[in-house]
Amino acid sequence: MSQTPVKPDRESPPSTPRWVKVLAIIALIVVLLIIIALVTDLGGPHGPGRHMPSGEPAGYIAAIGHGGQQL
Amino acid sequence: MTMRPSLRKFALTTHVTFSVGWIGGVVVYLTLGVAAVTSQDTQTVRAAWTAMELTGWFAIVPMALASLLTGLVMSLGTKWGLFRHYWTLISFVLTVLATVVLLLHMRDVSFLAAVAQEAEGARLEELGGDLLHPGLGLVVLLVIQVLNVYKPRGLTRYGWRKQQEQRTVRQP
Repeated sequence: MSQTPVKPDRESPPSTPRWVKVLAIIALIVVLLIIIALVTDLGGPHGPGRHMPSGEPAGYIAAIGHGGQQL
Repeated sequence: MTMRPSLRKFALTTHVTFSVGWIGGVVVYLTLGVAAVTSQDTQTVRAAWTAMELTGWFAIVPMALASLLTGLVMSLGTKWGLFRHYWTLISFVLTVLATVVLLLHMRDVSFLAAVAQEAEGARLEELGGDLLHPGLGLVVLLVIQVLNVYKPRGLTRYGWRKQQEQRTVRQP
């Protein structure tokens, strides 16, 4: 794939380069996937709860703070 | 304000050192994350989480902040500017984004490292590792790296206006 260099027109601003458009589309897809994963809880909840069997890290750390008792 | 060549070289060396150090730190973190996921040994999993917390707070976070700061110095102290070229603008936005996500995520890592010290057996296994955030972070850092090395063409509207202004000043 070759890109022909475009001579800048002094009267009007240059158009957005193709590589920026491609990067923007990829970024948009990644952001959409992240939003879908967060909204649908796909792959488990976000944050420390993802690693907890109960999904409630606050209770777990409270238990640790009170003599290391497991939930 | 443009830096003198000797100062520019020093700033560039510093920026490259911190940026590459950031990538190296994330690779180490990922390695420890894989160990936490795959190991069946309790001590290994606990040690991995402790090392991940230490690597994060004392290597990755300082490198990220230093890389962001030196990147700002480099862009503002050279002809490139911060908003004139797409590659500097996108690098800056991605670096800020990666740093913010890193700082927010490190609080979770500290919490999970504390949990790993107390958890036993199946609960420790369920803790797993931390591969998603550093994995995506590494991809973002590599994109920034490629942009910084290749410096692809492309002036922003702001950059084009500034260029026109300079031409007008030179040719009254």
